[in-house]
Amino acid sequence: MATVKTADRYFDDLRSTRVWRSVFRSGTGSSTLHRALAIQQNVFLHLFSTKVRTRMLSVSATWYLGTLTLGTFLILVATGIPLMLYYHPSAPQAYADTKDLQFVVSSGMFLRNLHRWSAHAMVFLVFAHMFKVFYRGAYRTPREFNWVIGVVLLLITLLLSYTGYLLPWDQLAYWAITVGSNIASAVPVMGNKIHFLLLGGNAVNANALLRFYVLHCMILPLTAIFFIAIHFWRIRKDGGLYSHASEPATLRAKATSSSTTATEGQ
Amino acid sequence: MKEKLTSLWQKLFGDSVRAFGVVSCLFLVSLAIAPAKNHFSEWRHYQHGYLKMIRNRSDAATLQRHFEGGIQQIWLPDLGVVDRCTSCHVGLKEASLNDVSQQPFRPHPVIPHKLGQFGCTVCHRGQGAATTVAEAHNSTLAWEQPILPAKYIESSCGECHRGTLAGTPQLNQGRSMLSRYGCVHCHTVKLPDGKIMKAADDPPSLSHIADKTTREWIYAWLKDPQAYAATATMPNFKLSDDDARDISAFLIANSTTVPEDTIALSAKAAADPTAGATLYGESFCASCHAVQNAAGNLVGGNVGPELTRVGNKVKPEWLQAWLRNPRIYNPETAMPHYRFNDAQVATLTGFLLAKTDSDLLNNVHLEAATPEQVEHGKRLVADYGCASCHEITGIKKPENFAPELSRIGSKPVTQLVFLRGMQHTLPDYIATKIKQPRSFGQNLKMPQYAFTVAQIDSLTTALLALNDRSFTLPPSLTVAAKAESDYQPAGKAGKLMTDLACFSCHRINGHGGDMAPDLTWEGSSVQRQWLMEFLKNPNTLRPALIRRMPKFNLTDSEANELTDYIMTVYQSPAVDRDSMPLSGYSQGQVELGKQLYYGKYACQGCHILDTKMDKGYVGPTLTRVGSRLTAAWVFQWMKNPQALRPGTLEPNRAMSDEDARALTAFLISQKVGSKSEVAKAKR
Amino acid sequence: MADSKEFIAGVDSNAKKSPRRIVFITRRTSAQVKVDTEDQVQTFPEVLFRAAVAIQVLAIALVWIALIFNAPLEGLADPSHTPNPAKAPWYFLGLQEMLHYFPPVVAGVLAPGLVVMALIVIPYFKVNIEADGLFLRDRQHRLSIFYAVASALSIFLVSFKVYAALVPTLIMVGLMLIAAQSSPQSSSAFRRYLAARPLSYWVMTWFLFELVVLTAIGTFFRGPGWAWIWPWQGF
Repeated sequence: MATVKTADRYFDDLRSTRVWRSVFRSGTGSSTLHRALAIQQNVFLHLFSTKVRTRMLSVSATWYLGTLTLGTFLILVATGIPLMLYYHPSAPQAYADTKDLQFVVSSGMFLRNLHRWSAHAMVFLVFAHMFKVFYRGAYRTPREFNWVIGVVLLLITLLLSYTGYLLPWDQLAYWAITVGSNIASAVPVMGNKIHFLLLGGNAVNANALLRFYVLHCMILPLTAIFFIAIHFWRIRKDGGLYSHASEPATLRAKATSSSTTATEGQ
Repeated sequence: MKEKLTSLWQKLFGDSVRAFGVVSCLFLVSLAIAPAKNHFSEWRHYQHGYLKMIRNRSDAATLQRHFEGGIQQIWLPDLGVVDRCTSCHVGLKEASLNDVSQQPFRPHPVIPHKLGQFGCTVCHRGQGAATTVAEAHNSTLAWEQPILPAKYIESSCGECHRGTLAGTPQLNQGRSMLSRYGCVHCHTVKLPDGKIMKAADDPPSLSHIADKTTREWIYAWLKDPQAYAATATMPNFKLSDDDARDISAFLIANSTTVPEDTIALSAKAAADPTAGATLYGESFCASCHAVQNAAGNLVGGNVGPELTRVGNKVKPEWLQAWLRNPRIYNPETAMPHYRFNDAQVATLTGFLLAKTDSDLLNNVHLEAATPEQVEHGKRLVADYGCASCHEITGIKKPENFAPELSRIGSKPVTQLVFLRGMQHTLPDYIATKIKQPRSFGQNLKMPQYAFTVAQIDSLTTALLALNDRSFTLPPSLTVAAKAESDYQPAGKAGKLMTDLACFSCHRINGHGGDMAPDLTWEGSSVQRQWLMEFLKNPNTLRPALIRRMPKFNLTDSEANELTDYIMTVYQSPAVDRDSMPLSGYSQGQVELGKQLYYGKYACQGCHILDTKMDKGYVGPTLTRVGSRLTAAWVFQWMKNPQALRPGTLEPNRAMSDEDARALTAFLISQKVGSKSEVAKAKR
Repeated sequence: MADSKEFIAGVDSNAKKSPRRIVFITRRTSAQVKVDTEDQVQTFPEVLFRAAVAIQVLAIALVWIALIFNAPLEGLADPSHTPNPAKAPWYFLGLQEMLHYFPPVVAGVLAPGLVVMALIVIPYFKVNIEADGLFLRDRQHRLSIFYAVASALSIFLVSFKVYAALVPTLIMVGLMLIAAQSSPQSSSAFRRYLAARPLSYWVMTWFLFELVVLTAIGTFFRGPGWAWIWPWQGF
């Protein structure tokens, strides 16, 4: 234990340096105020509430699905950027680049594997998150709008995965995208126009590859980040993580069923 | 113990900060595995192995200087080649490693190309971009073409080299088989140069077949062509008895007669049975036709059909008409029109009809055909595409009867249906398909050929060369085949040459066979008198050869016509026949020539001049060369034989004019005995 | 708070450590708050580090998967060679499976469009927002609507021969029938549970069931020509 304390002290020393103070404004000390400030004063963390109901920490409450989805998103950004360094979004070259990633780029295969499997994991986790939220009833007032944002994020995730699917430019990618994009043609009246707009042509070709690349690396990630920010911010604004037992309606029901008011806290 | 564990758990994961610290460490360790995995890659392993191997060799210093570490690649954007094979195969260019047998360190065998010129995968296939053994050599999801088995490697030469190539006998054989065995009758093969491969076999027309043979023979032939003649080109269609019966019924019923196609001769066959054999030999029938001898070996050429059991096949009346003039029955035939007299025809007919096999038709007993059988036979003939090869009255040649093979060498494996237990590779598929076509389905139409393993390998090699790359190569890299010439001589002499089927053996202006000498410059090369005599009574120039020109029994006017035409038309622009005299050379020059002949140039190594002493059998005999060749031709020949006849074995000795002139004087003086020879011929 | 005060106003003595909710009561409002303050923790460090640990555990798992399993890569895209079957990414295979049965407008546009619309309106959907059991009130009326909808849906699926989607539907209908026969007073816990499920629960569960079944069929049970195939047969 002594060593840990020493480590704590070193950490405290570090936090009281001028440089640290200039970066993090919450200051030293481990009081509640400091801890609240650590969240509030951070441009990223201030999206979250400073406090969370203790019962929501248990794994069974949320299965941490939202957190894990964020985790996959972070992995995807972290692996996606180095992958972009080795990739040209032009028709046969894209495939050669994928091959080079596999055979000559140091750890290129690992990067691609991690990116690919994380993408699948993210799609799966987003779905799981949605159903978990639904079965918890966490979409109810006042969280309706955050649910809607969640649906939007689900669609963005699907689009991200779908646009990324084409980029290796192999048979698997080509025909999966061909099959998928043909569905768009089925839209009445506008179908072919939408199909054309999606692919930049009437068939999957170099134009589609470029289009999907821009969507995959630029437009969709930025949109996703935008909505993720709102999504997190709304958790705080809508009263923190939803807990059924903490809802007014539940409490009222509880209050009416038992003659005494809840007093466990004291 | 349990408490210890609990306290350890508490220490590590007691609160979220500690847990974060511990998990972070685990995470970093996991991440560090990726670069480690990268470091222990296969190619590094092989490069270490190579360095270890060369360390103790005497040539270590040189080898180490040549060695370059890291991933190596041959990059040829024009060809789409990114070959990293040399990352593991590090010693490919080190000729001094030829004692090493351990792969991947063996040096490459000597080939006519530089190793870096075309990379590796252009010839060997496989995935050049890969840096692991499995990915580079095998067929994977991402790369279908595995390494090409070494026995088919010549197919890769054929991607660029569209013509025959001295170093690729297997490819050449395969290509000629495609046309020789009539594959291209049914399968269209578009060559990369845009031409369509033509068949070189000559399947007979069946429109007049009743004149030539019997229904029983057709039946037996259809059931098993190789039972009649081991060398038969016709494949076995594995017909049922009923089908063979109906097809033979249809063919006989469908046949029309040709006037003068059958004749009954008055002359009788010579009583002496050896007369027929002598005539058969003198006419050099064996140059084109094979016969199985008592030992079971085939003796003879393969231009015409095998005659071992011809007596079972042909009707005597037809055979006589055919021997008298084959062009009546088939104007396109490769058989020369011998000017046999009636007695000779009768003798030869008798000799040939005696060639029978009593077992062949013994078990064939056919009832008279019913109209239903004929009708069914007609349907079968259409179904099996008989008309793809044979001309049959009333049946059109089917188009695209079988799948096109123009790019068979790039056919995706996913589009193939394999048999159980066979390797899932394209070469195996092609080879099996040729070997046993019907094993892929009883209803398939492709017949069974009687190919040897070597022939199947050759065909597979030729087919593998027909691939996408051969079509997409930049034109600068392709080596075109020699254009096929369809030269035909004109006029009366031209008709005579066609009638004598000169082109079955001789080549003129790029057209014709290669059994006999090329006659393109014959007019510049020989003396008129000699040619005239030769045509009337050919004798051999090369004692080592069994084959020689047959005697056609030409009339004087025919021989004259032909000689005039050859002397006038087939002249080389490089040789002026009359620029050098045929006599009047000084004795000194002749002596000098003789010294050069036996001394400096040692011509007696290949040629015979003195029949008693010389033992040279490679080149033609020169005993009477002074009566045969023109002096100008001999002079130019001495100077540069390849300029006159490309590909001749005669070496180019780069002679000075003096030497060449002296040798010419010496050779032209070799008329000794010529007078007696000519006299003999006249007698 | 042990005494029966109606409200709390003021600042806890330990406010610096644990700030509490302050209620201002204007004259017209009568305070009704009976909420006990729930146990809460500071986001920093407790929640933040837990989240970080969760993400790292996931990342470790994914890193190991990436080290062991290579991402699929096939031959260069070739418009002239269509693989058979040509499959969309796995999350669209449910959709592709539906395209096998329905015209593209229905399966490709209408169905996913309706699903997205339904997902969006779920929280605004007034029916059962209180999370009452579906058949606990107005039972007869609701049962007759349920029968009508269930049979219409089944007939629709049968008429298109969508047996793959029919089986989950029938299972759900069966469960709902059990729910209809149950009440909060039922002896079995399972029945009590089913009885308390609201409409939205049933609809969503049906959707989840169909999604899983159709996606699984599209992924594992479809071979060349989109014909049924067993996963161990391969293709």
